[in-house]
Amino acid sequence: MKVLKTALPILLFLTGACASTNPPTQQLTETETVIRQADQIGAGDYAPLEIRKARQKLEQARAAYNKEDYEEAARLAEQSKVDAELAQIKTLSGKAQLAVRELKESIRLLEEELRKRDGEN
Amino acid sequence: MLLTACSGPLAMTPMLEEAESEFETVSQDSSVLVYAPVALVEAEEELERSRTLWEAKADRTLIDHHAYLAKQKAAIARETANLNKAQVEIERAEPERQRVLIDIRRDQAQRAEQRAEQALEEARHEREEAERARQRAEELAERVNELEAQQTERGLVLTLGDVLFDFDRAELQAGGQRAVAELARFLEEYPERNVMIEGFTDSVGSEEYNQNLSLRRANSVQQALINRGISSSRIGTVGYGVRYPVATNQTESGRQQNRRVEVIISDQSGSIPERRN
Repeated sequence: MKVLKTALPILLFLTGACASTNPPTQQLTETETVIRQADQIGAGDYAPLEIRKARQKLEQARAAYNKEDYEEAARLAEQSKVDAELAQIKTLSGKAQLAVRELKESIRLLEEELRKRDGEN
Repeated sequence: MLLTACSGPLAMTPMLEEAESEFETVSQDSSVLVYAPVALVEAEEELERSRTLWEAKADRTLIDHHAYLAKQKAAIARETANLNKAQVEIERAEPERQRVLIDIRRDQAQRAEQRAEQALEEARHEREEAERARQRAEELAERVNELEAQQTERGLVLTLGDVLFDFDRAELQAGGQRAVAELARFLEEYPERNVMIEGFTDSVGSEEYNQNLSLRRANSVQQALINRGISSSRIGTVGYGVRYPVATNQTESGRQQNRRVEVIISDQSGSIPERRN
């Protein structure tokens, strides 16, 4: 009797787990990695909204995971990852566009300098 | 309601509509087609998945999930295009920047060359100036020699002896006139120099007479210079009478040496030190 009492929930748990998807542990880890990479390249400055959304969704995914709602957890993790990917590419693009502006400005200043010198001669 | 239901398919979920519209905007951007074709296709595939689920009347959570992914992937396509475009611009602009930098360096080199040329020119000019000054000094020495002037501590002193004047008179004789003409030429050539003309006599006769004679002889030399075009402002005169003898008054030859007119030629600043003792 005692054995049955403890074995039943485990059995139920196992069947329940099998009926839905597997725990998206790896997906969560992957998402965390993408968010960390985005942070490292400066997404906080170039894509603050996107990185914030990614982090919120990761939290929600973890909550669902803890409630063993693995399908929801997997979906939220996937959305969080795509948010973080957008934050990454937006950061890189923002930096590159800034570099273009700076480069063009430096060319403009150099040309102005050259013109000024020509004027002196 | 009825019209919309008849004229077209059922209304999509707001999320799917949003994704459709985002994808529409992004795919119409020609730079996305050029710079991010793969990302655009990925967004389209995700959108297609969402649409298929919607058509199959699948769970709305699933439809919205893929719609959301489609929307974000469309945004990724846009940013990828921006990134790649910017990198191409950097690749193009960098050589241009180098070219301008080279122009500037070339310009600097030209300037440096000009400065060096100028410095050389200045050095040459200075050398020529120095050479001219030296030649002038040489000429002066030569002219002084011709004047038969003596270098003394007061400067150059030209002595006009007694024989150049008529006896007991102030008028210059022909020899005296020649000496004055020479002096006038010198003063014309060196306009920065002035002269002081000092007259002296021997001790024969009254002091007043001698004083008077020495001044008249000095004035006579001054007048001769003025007649030859030298400005009176450059010529000072003074009569010292019997003072400052250069020889004894006891002998005739000594007295003759004392009867004289001295012309002191100033330095380049035009000033003549006062006679001492």
